[in-house]
Amino acid sequence: MASVKLTNVKKVYDNNVVAVHDFNLDIKDKEFVVFVGPSGCGKSTTLRMVAGLEEISGGTVEIDGEVVNDLQPKDRNIAMVFQNYALYPHMSVYDNIAFSLRLQKMPEDVIYSKVTNAAEILGITEYLMRKPRALSGGQRQRVAIGRAMVRDSKVFLMDEPLSNLDAKLRNQMRAEIILLRQKLNTTFIYVTHDQTEAMTLGDRIVIMKDGFIQQVGTPAEVFEMPTNLFVAEFIGAPKMNIVKTDLVREGNRYFVTPCGAKIEVTGEKGGLLNEKNVKGGPVLLGVRPEHMKLAFERGENTMSARLEVNEMMGSELHLHVYTKDGARWIVRVPTIDLTQEQRRSLVNGAQVYITFEGKVMHFFDPETEKNLIY
Amino acid sequence: MKNKNQLPALILLVIGLVVTAGGLFLFINRFVPMWSFSHKYMTDNAIFAMLGILGLFLGIVALLLARSLRKQGQEVPSDTLKQHMGLKATARISNTVIYVLLVIISVIWLAPFFCIVVQSFRVNPTGMTRYLFQNPDAALKEGLTIRFGLDNYRRLFAGDFPRWYLNTFIIAVVVAAVQTIIVLCMSYTLSRFRFKLRKPLMQFMLILGMFPGMLTMIILYQVLKDVGLAGANAMPGLILVYVASSGMGYYVSKGFFDTIPKSLDEAARIDGATRAQVLYKIILPLAKPIVIYTVLTAFMGPWGDFVFAKYVTGVTPEAWNVAVGLQQWLSTTTNISENYTMFCAGGVVVAIPVVILFMCLQKYYVEGVTGGAVKG
Repeated sequence: MASVKLTNVKKVYDNNVVAVHDFNLDIKDKEFVVFVGPSGCGKSTTLRMVAGLEEISGGTVEIDGEVVNDLQPKDRNIAMVFQNYALYPHMSVYDNIAFSLRLQKMPEDVIYSKVTNAAEILGITEYLMRKPRALSGGQRQRVAIGRAMVRDSKVFLMDEPLSNLDAKLRNQMRAEIILLRQKLNTTFIYVTHDQTEAMTLGDRIVIMKDGFIQQVGTPAEVFEMPTNLFVAEFIGAPKMNIVKTDLVREGNRYFVTPCGAKIEVTGEKGGLLNEKNVKGGPVLLGVRPEHMKLAFERGENTMSARLEVNEMMGSELHLHVYTKDGARWIVRVPTIDLTQEQRRSLVNGAQVYITFEGKVMHFFDPETEKNLIY
Repeated sequence: MKNKNQLPALILLVIGLVVTAGGLFLFINRFVPMWSFSHKYMTDNAIFAMLGILGLFLGIVALLLARSLRKQGQEVPSDTLKQHMGLKATARISNTVIYVLLVIISVIWLAPFFCIVVQSFRVNPTGMTRYLFQNPDAALKEGLTIRFGLDNYRRLFAGDFPRWYLNTFIIAVVVAAVQTIIVLCMSYTLSRFRFKLRKPLMQFMLILGMFPGMLTMIILYQVLKDVGLAGANAMPGLILVYVASSGMGYYVSKGFFDTIPKSLDEAARIDGATRAQVLYKIILPLAKPIVIYTVLTAFMGPWGDFVFAKYVTGVTPEAWNVAVGLQQWLSTTTNISENYTMFCAGGVVVAIPVVILFMCLQKYYVEGVTGGAVKG
């Protein structure tokens, strides 16, 4: 069993700067939790408090039901992979991985089998006798993972391990981490600033900003039901289109009126609005770029817009448009849906018509920035 | 001269060359008299000191010149064809000039040691002379022929010198061991830990280090005498005093430890190492050059300490260190005329352990560590 429980955890630095405010989280055994957020939001600090590398200013951290606030990192039965690998430069790869086992005074043959086993899983067997400086970035990261793996610890902590790799290698390592997770089957706490990593790797995502937790949920939950504006804009790439508009209530039906169009709120959301008896008024409307549609002629619920930038992404186009009221939208259009003529017409300054369906809208209060429904 | 920036360097070079030429002339004049003038104030020691300073001066000048010439060599636009053809003429000239200067500097720096070694083998006359191999006045006077032999060394080891040597050796070894441990622990702590008094402590030690050690000499002697560690028991007293202030020498080591990433410490601590194990197994192997440096400086200190050692040991010859003992032989004119060459022999014997230590440990300086094992 390796559950981690953080209760009212707080971190205040010497100059009275509060890095983490009142962090509460229950991580179940064998769960893969990702802390994600922009730089400076407190995610690494929280991870380091769990690891024991930072003093905990307030609250408690429990690993397997035992309060570990005052325990040294080595007594907490954790393993950690660092952003900058932190391999011991004067030791070979074998000695790097064996270091912790030798400190535990294990017999050499046991160490040998453990290290070679881990090396085989990670595909670094041929590098065992090399020094870290003779390895590439991806290989070094695998050695760092191997060093953490052999400890058979209860909790696996990873502090932005893929940040220093190039994009292609990052995708490859991401898949390897997923496979590793299946093999190790232990509790993971993963810190990243990349929301793609968070969405693909995590069982649950913890989104943080300025030391506060914004939302905790599964990838599907934070994507489809963001509780506030920050989460809505942070998750999903390109980010959600946010536009100031009015929510109009006509009896049991709700409409939004962005830039001249009138679109009814349909589906589940319409029902929920009714349930919560949401009043009409100014709202921040959110629609994800992939839910936007491109039309080539005017319609009742289309908005007229001018194309500013056309990004060719391969299988789709990212169109940056702006409507008459100055609002900016990003629309993702699969290239396969367009004819050659239509594609050619999408030049800078072209007139386009954009719209979206009634069931894809998100509504946020303009002052509190909270989601009106969730 | 294409660049105005070269002007200061060239002026300094010209001055340096003129002064050095003058010094060399005076030096050679000793052995091959080309010009006679009053030698009353120009003893061998004065010449050696002058040459030492000149050598230093010339070294600085050579550095400046090398830099400016190198810059000139690089200002020429590099053509790929010319690159394949080898160094450009300017770079070749600058290399030659630099090597010539370096050879001259080496000669100047090694000359005093050469003189001391030669004089240590001179059996007759035993006093301080102004010539090395041949007395220019030998033709005028009879019985002034120079003889070389090992007599000085024999006399050296027959007297009290071995005792002094042993004293100094023990002090140096103990001080080297203890001081290294203290300095390294101190530097590691100041580098890795953050505590409230850290900055005030470092500033305090920096300022305290600016006061000359001589200020405390009298009171230290009084305290040592009262405790019974002066005079005949001076050795433990000296060790205590040398070791006591060693924590203040943290600066260089701390700077070195600051360059080792903290994430290595953290990784080791998570792997199960205590702080002491982190220092011993991870940090020190990476800091081999600075450890060697600390050991060497700590070892070399006691060999040359004259003032404090003489003050504390007083008139008990068994407790003297080599510096005090050797100085005794030069304390009166009769002593100088009898013991000068023995003094030189003593100097050579004192230099031997330090030279051996340096030659053995030099390769550790060349190790390049850390390279690439940690990103950024």
